[in-house]
Amino acid sequence: MPEKGRFLRTLCALHDDGVDFIVVGGMAAVLDGAPINTFDVDVVHSRNEKNIDCLLKVLEALDAVYRIQPERRIRPNASHLASAGGQNLITRYGPLDLLGTIGRNLGYEDLLPHSVEMEVGEGVLVKVLDLETLIIIKEELGGEKDRAVLPVLRRTLEERRRAGI
Amino acid sequence: MTPVDEDRLTDYSEDGVDLTLIRWMLSLSPAERLQVLEQHVDDILRIRELNAGKR
Repeated sequence: MPEKGRFLRTLCALHDDGVDFIVVGGMAAVLDGAPINTFDVDVVHSRNEKNIDCLLKVLEALDAVYRIQPERRIRPNASHLASAGGQNLITRYGPLDLLGTIGRNLGYEDLLPHSVEMEVGEGVLVKVLDLETLIIIKEELGGEKDRAVLPVLRRTLEERRRAGI
Repeated sequence: MTPVDEDRLTDYSEDGVDLTLIRWMLSLSPAERLQVLEQHVDDILRIRELNAGKR
């Protein structure tokens, strides 16, 4: 059995402690079948009080600090996690972006109906944003980085539909 | 699935996307896709480290 990788360890840590989250961004695209690379884990988390408490405990165990100035070791707090913005962190398993919302102010509850549950290894099931929604959000954002990946995402969606996946 | 022309050795979409790569990824389970990503990223970071300070 292959050694558990850093991405999987991050997802397991969030999952095992019962954090409510949806995998989005490049990792969602890969899990949805798009052949692209990404170097971080992007998730949208539920911003209810209980989930934020839960998330803070996991972040402490992961030794998460803001990666803009890692030497200052600034840790996210409850009010950071309750905001709609993004927290760009570095953990013992690599970069982790916690996003309050994505696209046009879409939070966890908005994205939940557009997520699918996938097994990512060792029986761990996580919610992953579906490819259709990922494409719509990237089209709306319209940034250069988002536009660059759109042809691969669109063709992946077509191939999925063609194959009946 | 669209039938594949047996004489054709590549398959790109009109906008230049390698469809064979997509089909290969779709043949994997999500857990296997994650393993592929982990391996690629680890390999890239290892190569970067090997070449750090050389350029």
